[in-house]
Amino acid sequence: MTNLIKRKRRKNGGRGKETLMSASRICLVVAAALALSACAARRPNRLPDPPLTNASPVPTPASRAAAPATPQPAPPAAPRSSATTPAAKAPVPNAIKVAPPVVRTPAPVARSPQPPAPVAASPALDLNTLTKQLKETKAIGLFSKIALKNKVDDLLDEFRKYYQGNTKINLTELRQSFNLLMMKLLSLLQDEDKTLASKIVSSREAIWDFLTDPKKFATLET
Amino acid sequence: MNKRIMALTQSLFMAALFAVPSFAVDDEALKKDLTAVIALQGLPCGEVVAVKTQAENDYAVSCKDKNKYRVYLNAAGRVIVEKSK
Repeated sequence: MTNLIKRKRRKNGGRGKETLMSASRICLVVAAALALSACAARRPNRLPDPPLTNASPVPTPASRAAAPATPQPAPPAAPRSSATTPAAKAPVPNAIKVAPPVVRTPAPVARSPQPPAPVAASPALDLNTLTKQLKETKAIGLFSKIALKNKVDDLLDEFRKYYQGNTKINLTELRQSFNLLMMKLLSLLQDEDKTLASKIVSSREAIWDFLTDPKKFATLET
Repeated sequence: MNKRIMALTQSLFMAALFAVPSFAVDDEALKKDLTAVIALQGLPCGEVVAVKTQAENDYAVSCKDKNKYRVYLNAAGRVIVEKSK
């Protein structure tokens, strides 16, 4: 009699294990499916990479027409940050006690002397890295990237014509186009890739300096 | 044998269940991309609400403000946005 009861218990235990096994299998399947769906959601766009050629750059009048009304003349050089960094870094050893008043005072002092050399702006500019990061960022869709590249090509073409003397566009208008393009780019980046957006903001003047220097611009052509 | 079939059925069912949302994510990304492209060209749209793929890299787009566009990549590698009726 007791043997019979024991056998029944064993049977019940076995079934319990079976249902447990199938439950764990279902859990595994669900987990695998979730992982798959997560991977699928992260997969890159199916479209090909944007073409790298400077193909048929036709200037778009729309971009020029929509330019902001406040022309910004090309500032002679470096942004405040690059000019002040050496001065601001000096008092760092005493930073805990003295830093706040000391750091604030050199800023106006650094601005007042003669305009800093363009060399000061160049460390912020690394065109290759910026280009690579722009190509790789997921904040901008592929079609937008191609459209942006078209705009960049158009602007470069305008600069080329400007240096060749084949256009009536002056530097102020080029600056407007440049600002508009920067705004478009930053508006696409600022929400989802803040790091790259801030990098571009900090190298903005350096890029402009690069474009407005005929010798540096000529290196783009090669 | 039955267990294997059951397991296979379960996994296929789960895969099908999660495949639909992933397509939806792709679709949303495309809409966002096309919205940005139209805005980059300075054309009114607001937001892309429907996209119909006409060919590879060729889309018919309907906007929230009832504007309709054809967005495509031409042979020269330029993104063209054309207003359609």
